[in-house]
Amino acid sequence: MFSKKMVMIVGVIAIMAVNIILLSVFNRRYISYYRPGRIAVSVIAPFQKASSKSILFLRDIWYHYFFLVHAAEENDALKKALDKSFEKNVRYREITLSNSRLRSLLNFEKTMTDPVLSAEVIGKDPSPWFKTVLIDKGKHDGVERGMAVVVPKGIAGQITEVSSHYSKVLLIIDPNSAVDALVQSDRARGIIKGDAAGELSFKYVLRKHDIAIGELVVSSGLDGVFPKGLAVGQVSGVFKPKAGIFQEVTVTPYVDFEKLEEVLVVLNPKKQNKPS
Amino acid sequence: MAHCLNICIGLFLIVVQTTVMPHIPVFERFYDLLTPLVVYLSIFRPVREGTVMVLIFGFLMDNISGGPFGLYLTAYFWLFLGVRWAITFLHVGDSFLLPFVVAVGVLMENMIFLGANVMLEQNLQIAQTMVNTVVVQVLWAVFTGPFFLMLFNYSHRRWDRWTQKIFAQKN
Repeated sequence: MFSKKMVMIVGVIAIMAVNIILLSVFNRRYISYYRPGRIAVSVIAPFQKASSKSILFLRDIWYHYFFLVHAAEENDALKKALDKSFEKNVRYREITLSNSRLRSLLNFEKTMTDPVLSAEVIGKDPSPWFKTVLIDKGKHDGVERGMAVVVPKGIAGQITEVSSHYSKVLLIIDPNSAVDALVQSDRARGIIKGDAAGELSFKYVLRKHDIAIGELVVSSGLDGVFPKGLAVGQVSGVFKPKAGIFQEVTVTPYVDFEKLEEVLVVLNPKKQNKPS
Repeated sequence: MAHCLNICIGLFLIVVQTTVMPHIPVFERFYDLLTPLVVYLSIFRPVREGTVMVLIFGFLMDNISGGPFGLYLTAYFWLFLGVRWAITFLHVGDSFLLPFVVAVGVLMENMIFLGANVMLEQNLQIAQTMVNTVVVQVLWAVFTGPFFLMLFNYSHRRWDRWTQKIFAQKN
C-alpha cells in the first residue's frame, strides 16, 4: 500500500516529533541528576579533577619557578590584596549608603556573614552555547541546589545540580540565569540576565531612572539566592527607546569567567544549623 | 573490545575539551571534539557499535553540560544518522571529502543547538559573537577534522591487531 520511501519519510518525521517533545519535557523537568546522571558525573569528574590539578600544578611550576619567581609571587599577593580591597570597598560603599537611608529603621547586617565553602572549578561547559562549570564540592560537603556561588570580585552564579561530590554552577552570563539587582547609586531595580556574548543585560529597569555608564550594579538580595550588596558589574551601555516603560542597560561583569578557578559557595545557615 | 577503546577515546576527549582546552587561548573557539568521533563511528564502524557509543557519549555530555537534558543525545543521534545516510550515495571515506564531513558535522551540531535554543527559549537573541564562534569552529573542523578521523582509524587498527594477537596467543 505504501512505498518503502514513504514509510521511511513518515518514520523520520515521527522520530523528529518524538525528539522535539522529549526535549521540551526535559527542558521543563530536569531529570539528569537522577541516579544514572550522578553516575555519569561521578565517572567524568574525577578525571576532570585530576586533569585540572595537573594543569594548575604545571602552570604554577612554570610561573613560580621557571618564569619570574619573585615577580609572580608578588603579583599573586598583590592580586589577592586587590581582590580583598575591592570586595571591602564595594561592601563598605553599600553599607554606607544603606545606613544613611535606613539608619533608624533597620539593622543592616553585613553582607557575606553567611558561612561559605571554598571549591575548585574542575571543568567547563563543553558547549559555547551554555555557560556552566563543574566544582569539586557536592552534597556530602553541604552543597544544595539554588545556593549562591561568589568570588571576591562579585557574583559568579548559582548551583543548579548537585551530585555526591560534585556540583554544576550556572554562571550569571548564561542566558538561563537571572539575578535581582540594583544600581548602587540611585537604587534602580531590575533583573540581570546573561546573553550569548558573555555580557549581561539589565532588564526591566524603568526609564525614569537616569543611569550613567560606569555605575556599579549590585545584587538586591530580593531573589532569595544571592546575598545583598555583592558586586555584579558596571554599566557599560544605556539605551532609552522612544516607546515603552523600560530602558535597555548593558552591564559588564566584574568577574572574569574565563579565568574562574576557585569559588565560594554561600551555604544556607538555617539549614546548616538544623539538627540532623 | 572496540567499545572499550571508543569509551577511552571519548572520555579522554571530554576531559581534554573541558579542562585543558579552556586554558589555551588558541582553542577558545574549538569545536566539540566528540563530533569527529561520532562522524568516524558512523562512517567506519558497524551500526550497532556506533549507536551504543552515540548513546553513551550523548548521555555523558548532557550530564556535564548546562543545556537541556537530551540536547547532545539529539545532536549526536541525528549527526550519526545523517552521516550514515550520506554514505549510502557519497563516498565520504576518500581524502577529498574528508575535511568537509567533519565541518558539516560541526555545523549540523551547532544548528541543532540553535534550533533547540530557539524552540525552548523565549526572546532568544543570537549575538554576533555566536555566529563568529560557529564560523571559526567550522574552519577549525575543515583543517583539523581529517586528522582526527585518521587518528581514530589508526588507533582502531592498532587496537584490533593487538587484541587479535592476544586472543591468538590464548588460543
